[in-house]
Amino acid sequence: MAFQLLINLTISFVWMFLYNAWDLPTFIIGYVVGGLILFVVRRFFHQPLYLIKVYAIIKLILLFFKELFLSNVTVVKHVLSPKLNIKPGIFALETDLKTDWEITLLSSLITLTPGTLVVDISEDQRTLYIHAMNIEDIEVSISAIKNSFERAIMEVSQ
Amino acid sequence: MRPNDVILKTATQLVTFIIIIFSIYVFLAGHHNPGGGFIGGLMTAAAFVLIGIAFDIKTIKRILPFDFKILTATGLLIAVLTGIGSFVFDSPFLSHTYDYFYLPLLGKTELATALLFDIGVYFVVIGVTLTIIYTIGEDN
Repeated sequence: MAFQLLINLTISFVWMFLYNAWDLPTFIIGYVVGGLILFVVRRFFHQPLYLIKVYAIIKLILLFFKELFLSNVTVVKHVLSPKLNIKPGIFALETDLKTDWEITLLSSLITLTPGTLVVDISEDQRTLYIHAMNIEDIEVSISAIKNSFERAIMEVSQ
Repeated sequence: MRPNDVILKTATQLVTFIIIIFSIYVFLAGHHNPGGGFIGGLMTAAAFVLIGIAFDIKTIKRILPFDFKILTATGLLIAVLTGIGSFVFDSPFLSHTYDYFYLPLLGKTELATALLFDIGVYFVVIGVTLTIIYTIGEDN
């Protein structure tokens, strides 16, 4: 993964050395050539090609922007409505993610979703405690988090 | 029971490097733009203070395994030496000069002796700030 990216960057630098041109266009052309070489010899590596991971990361970023937009629309709806019909509460969510980095990313994404907010993480990092604006539809929110965010982060990190 | 602050620690590992690189940029921009040794040193010290908040003071000690008072003294020494250096060229104390040089890869570059003085200021500010934080933080 990171090793393949290093190889690609090295190929770009070798390309710049060969042309004796130290500018961005030469670097980008070298990078594209390196990507093509890596694509041809992709069966040589034990892990899948890192460009697949880049696609997963771009999908995660687009998901992030979509959730940011939707959460703000939802909050504006609740603020402007004449009657406040919400039932706040805290529930626990079991997570399958392992590393600190994944947990941090998942917590940030949950905090950005409409009506949910991470308040604490358990000592063994298996459970997130989430404050929900509407505790009524808890099952819906759990399954939504599981299906969208956890899957997207798993795709990046596996 | 201590709360599990995994989010703060993970974010710190990423943000610290951004703060340090920005502080170095501000330090180097000080000749023609807002910035300079003082604000650059304060920002670098702030990055280490953030590490101290997220982890603990022992971690700062492990990253920078030397006495901060010596760092302060080194900074003052550099600043004074740049002042004394002007005696070599028969000019008054603390006269500074600059010139344009052609360096490989960088092209035409302006090098000023005021930058050396600024490095002294930078070290003094980092040393003093971290000494204060360390002294207060260790108090039991």
